[in-house]
Amino acid sequence: MMDRTHRVRRRIAATVCAAALVLPLAACDALTPGSATAVPGPTSVPSSTAVPDGDITLHLQFADAPLMVDALIAAFEKDHPGIDVEPQYKTFSDYVQNLKLTMTSDTAPDIAQYAVGMTDLAADGHILDLAPYREAYGWDKAIPPVSLDQLTAGQTSEATGGRALFGVPAGLSMTGIYYNKKLAAKAGIDAPPRTLDEFGKQLAAAKDADLTPLGVGALDSGGLHLWAALLNQLMPTDEYWDWVNGKKGATIENPAAVEASEDMIEWGRKGYYNESANGTAQVDSTAQFTKGDSVFLINGNWAAGQLATVMGDDVGFFPMPGEQAGSPTVASGFSVSYAVSAKTEHPEAAGAFLDFLTSPEAGQIISDNGFMPPNPDAVKKPTGVLADIAAGHRRAVADDGITTFPDFAAPAMLDRLRSGVQKLIADRVEPADYLDSLQDEWEDHHGE
Amino acid sequence: MGSRPPVRSGEARRRWRGYVYVLPAFAVYFAFAVLPALHTAYLSLFEWDGVTLGEWVGLGNYAEIFQDSILRRSVFNALVLVVFFSLVPIVLGLLSAGLLARYRRPGMGAYRFLFMLPQVVPLVAVGVTWRWLYGDDGVVNQTLRAVGLDSVARAWLGDFDAALIAVGLVGTWVLSGLCMMLFLSGVQKVEPSLYEAARIDGAGPVREFVSVTLPHLRGELAVAMTVTTVAALASFDIVYVTTNGGPGEQTTVPGLLVYRLAFSEGKVGLAAALAVVLGVLILAIVYLINRLSRDRT
Repeated sequence: MMDRTHRVRRRIAATVCAAALVLPLAACDALTPGSATAVPGPTSVPSSTAVPDGDITLHLQFADAPLMVDALIAAFEKDHPGIDVEPQYKTFSDYVQNLKLTMTSDTAPDIAQYAVGMTDLAADGHILDLAPYREAYGWDKAIPPVSLDQLTAGQTSEATGGRALFGVPAGLSMTGIYYNKKLAAKAGIDAPPRTLDEFGKQLAAAKDADLTPLGVGALDSGGLHLWAALLNQLMPTDEYWDWVNGKKGATIENPAAVEASEDMIEWGRKGYYNESANGTAQVDSTAQFTKGDSVFLINGNWAAGQLATVMGDDVGFFPMPGEQAGSPTVASGFSVSYAVSAKTEHPEAAGAFLDFLTSPEAGQIISDNGFMPPNPDAVKKPTGVLADIAAGHRRAVADDGITTFPDFAAPAMLDRLRSGVQKLIADRVEPADYLDSLQDEWEDHHGE
Repeated sequence: MGSRPPVRSGEARRRWRGYVYVLPAFAVYFAFAVLPALHTAYLSLFEWDGVTLGEWVGLGNYAEIFQDSILRRSVFNALVLVVFFSLVPIVLGLLSAGLLARYRRPGMGAYRFLFMLPQVVPLVAVGVTWRWLYGDDGVVNQTLRAVGLDSVARAWLGDFDAALIAVGLVGTWVLSGLCMMLFLSGVQKVEPSLYEAARIDGAGPVREFVSVTLPHLRGELAVAMTVTTVAALASFDIVYVTTNGGPGEQTTVPGLLVYRLAFSEGKVGLAAALAVVLGVLILAIVYLINRLSRDRT
């Protein structure tokens, strides 16, 4: 009896304690998540290009190509002795995962590398709209419009009324197909394919010659690049852009996407992929390709430096060909771009740095580091496989055919794409179901 | 509860004084473990992307969780991992303890140290190493091919049927050592005279194990079950490093989903709700294990 009253009393005390802890939490408005991150300041840069005198320190946070960034900073500081740029390097996954916390904190860097989460940050006013600088500095002339369009987050500029701009590219990327020239010759393939159909025949020829036709590293993003490359050829680019940008009514559940997915399944059934594509990381598939394990390899220009070093003249590159010989060149690509935080105290100095990135001097540094400069005419002509890539990129730019990676459509899209493409490769999903899962995620993010 | 002697007031005061000594530690624990947990539970009631103002959705996140097919799949995967992280290591540990209990030799310390080693290596390093071992040209496949089992060789982590088992075996490798270590130290507490007595009574190895070794390991068994089951249900690092949940959703576990939802997908409220559900599930299972092991005593 005694025991029971004790127990009851203790239980009541515990409940009261818990309530006392939780109730004030729930009652306090300031505790509502996100309430402390509202930005009052300006959401756009000024239109003046004058850099104020005095010592200025800019903090730059980035995740790609540290050697290139160091070289760019050194050259910039020589031109602008008053401005000191402090680089803060983070590994890519660290960078992307912490991006939102970093950019909404009180200690946000002045300049930050553009990444997927920036779209949301831009919408909330944490990233400055650079459109006034685009007009003032004339970036439209120095940078191909297709590269700038990727950085508008699909918004219009409040400051200029035109397209918004949330970053400036320094070094562009593109995906495509590498081929081993010696192995290709062994399979009777003497030139890059002109059509998608011809590429399919070359894969078959490689298979007949008892070689592994296509190296895919689908453990991470390699499979996604292949699917996107096929999609680029089959789906009208405008519709693809609408989908990635979250335009109302856009959908990936269309016949072209079904066909791209079916092609992937078909190639898997025919044994065109390396046997363990789903268990191979992209870097590993690249290493296997250098050892001659496959005739073709899907990857991006970021692998070109490594491939050129190991394979020399034995490796070539072409963008995935279109349906007809005369089809425009369309390839996935993005840029190592930099955005300006709304918390910066030196928007003019940041503008000067961004403008420097568009200069021929910066272009040469970017090119020397294996990336494509925004303005390729201003730099020395590369050789070998780097020349193949530069030529392919030039064609894609001329055709307005550089499209962003499909995971830009929503923050959770990368996971859906990666696991979905693995299922396509293993012939474990119907194309319709796969596309349905993508569209679900899209609608979840962009609203009905 | 039960037959406690009545407490006089002086004694009571002395008893309360004990809590004062605990207070600093409790304050730290409260600030860094209890408060964050409460905050997580609070966040789970919001739809929040991690940046903008959150929107109160009450129990909406919980409703969403129970409708999600990927989530159900991940819970199933975690339960499969319990077999590999908990059941198999405990059986192996008991076996080894049983064998060593009968014939005790010097050098038990070294033996224990050897099997404890996997426990000391960071799990991320374990994952990376095993990814190599399981790779196309990794040691596992090389060995299989060397003994003529070419048809069995495959990219284990990329194979839809084999990936979950492959990941589970990594956990078996890690946690078997812990179980063996626990059971061996338990066995060492057993009076040698008990084994002698059993042997004089004519007990064979099996009888000895069942009648002497096993009853003495009840406490260790409860600890091993608790630790390994929690490791299986809360698994994250090994899966993240080896397969990142793939291929498809074959190795996706709830811990991985919490991480993804919160950090890459910007669904912090949903992640918090999932973390709460996972926490409650783990607490319930641990409670059950403790309850069962206590009843047997």
